[in-house]
Amino acid sequence: MAAPFTRVYRPFWRIITTTKSNRGVRNVSYTSQQWSAQNVKTAGAASPWALHGAVCVQRLPVVTQDRSPIEEEFMELMQKMEFERSLLADHELKLLDDAALMSRKQEGDYDSDEEDDYRDKDIVTAQDLEDIWEQKLKDFQPALRSQGNDQKDASSSERCLADSLILLVKKDVGSQKLWLLPQIQWQMGETLRQTAERALASLPGADLKATFLGNAPCGFYKYKYPKDIQKEGSVGAKVFFFKAVLSSHKHLPLEKNSFAWVKKDELQDFLKPEYLKQVRRFIMAL
Amino acid sequence: MAGIVCRTASRVISSQAACSSSVVAVRHSHWFTSMLSLKTSVPLRAEPKKRKKVDPRRELMVKERLKKKLKKLEKVPPEMIPIEDFIKSAKGFDETRVREAPDLCFEESERRALLLKEWSRFKRSQHQTEMHEIQEALEAQRQALEELKLESEELYKAAVSPDTDIFPFQHDGPCYTPPLTNYEAPEGKYNDITRVYTQ
Repeated sequence: MAAPFTRVYRPFWRIITTTKSNRGVRNVSYTSQQWSAQNVKTAGAASPWALHGAVCVQRLPVVTQDRSPIEEEFMELMQKMEFERSLLADHELKLLDDAALMSRKQEGDYDSDEEDDYRDKDIVTAQDLEDIWEQKLKDFQPALRSQGNDQKDASSSERCLADSLILLVKKDVGSQKLWLLPQIQWQMGETLRQTAERALASLPGADLKATFLGNAPCGFYKYKYPKDIQKEGSVGAKVFFFKAVLSSHKHLPLEKNSFAWVKKDELQDFLKPEYLKQVRRFIMAL
Repeated sequence: MAGIVCRTASRVISSQAACSSSVVAVRHSHWFTSMLSLKTSVPLRAEPKKRKKVDPRRELMVKERLKKKLKKLEKVPPEMIPIEDFIKSAKGFDETRVREAPDLCFEESERRALLLKEWSRFKRSQHQTEMHEIQEALEAQRQALEELKLESEELYKAAVSPDTDIFPFQHDGPCYTPPLTNYEAPEGKYNDITRVYTQ
């Protein structure tokens, strides 16, 4: 791609009333050494792009993925080959000895005094141990791998436990309602990471704790306002995305229509094409 | 015999009287050299007990010798702690444990060989997709930082500065089944038999 950004005209982005304050200098603090470096940048016309910070919250997989057919086949082959090349284990030796002992006991001329160590072998045989272990395993009921609500409820974070899910929010953009990653406008005096943290904290009705992965943004999206909204000095907006990993499992269920947890391949059903193109680059669904 | 007779006689004599008889008894004992020599008692003739100069020196010498011996012992390099994974256990060389080798027919061996090749192709394509995705993500980040630099130097510096709070980072990876709510794991008793080596 030659051009690093795309020009998109959003139908009616809401008029940002606070552009006046944001159009000012974007520096957090002045120091004498920084002043000279930034002098060139800020002395002239302030940047026409409004800054937004967005957060890409991922719920990492809880359960392992199912194996593909070739993986299944290969796993079976590997297990077979390892078994063939291995030596007998202690347990297996015990099984063989017990079997031999049983066969000797069945014979007519059996004398138990001739056995080498007859102390404990008739009490618990290795086969009995195996049966006990199997019984114990059957008594334990693990939780189900797939809850079965994969397709229905997009706002539950317990769906698709084998994949990593991204949080999407439905937001009013001008007159339209669009699905976006949670974002919020940047304010003077904070770093973009703090903006992203604020974006996550300010979601209505969602109490999500996430660990942000580093100070640097993982991607960005740039768009221009439609011409009638463009004032002097505000051309469009730049959204910088930050990656975060959801820390806690248990949280209250979210509102169905405004929140969604989606896999990477489901993103295209929710996001606009140009936005999706940029977002897809940094979301890894390996 | 004569000495014993002498001693008993002296005892008999000494039982009657006090010091004079004891002196007489001493004189008659075999420890006593002769009647005509000086009246010296056994302790008086022995070596003196306390020599104030030589004994402390001797003790010091003994201590120094012990210290030198200790130093010689300590100079020996410490024994290396064995790595238990590298020690081949005797169980591996036990002939009674050998499993019978299976005889594979031609089709089976062919199938295995073909499956291995298929697997290598699968893994290669998986690796390529992984590398491609990682490269894409890195490129996206680089471009984002470039754009941020165009925007504001201060914010760019803040973004590029290292994050100290992220480490130590902990996350429980995926298991086979999801965690059970309100599950109490049974208490297990165990005997820890790990060998601890000290140097």
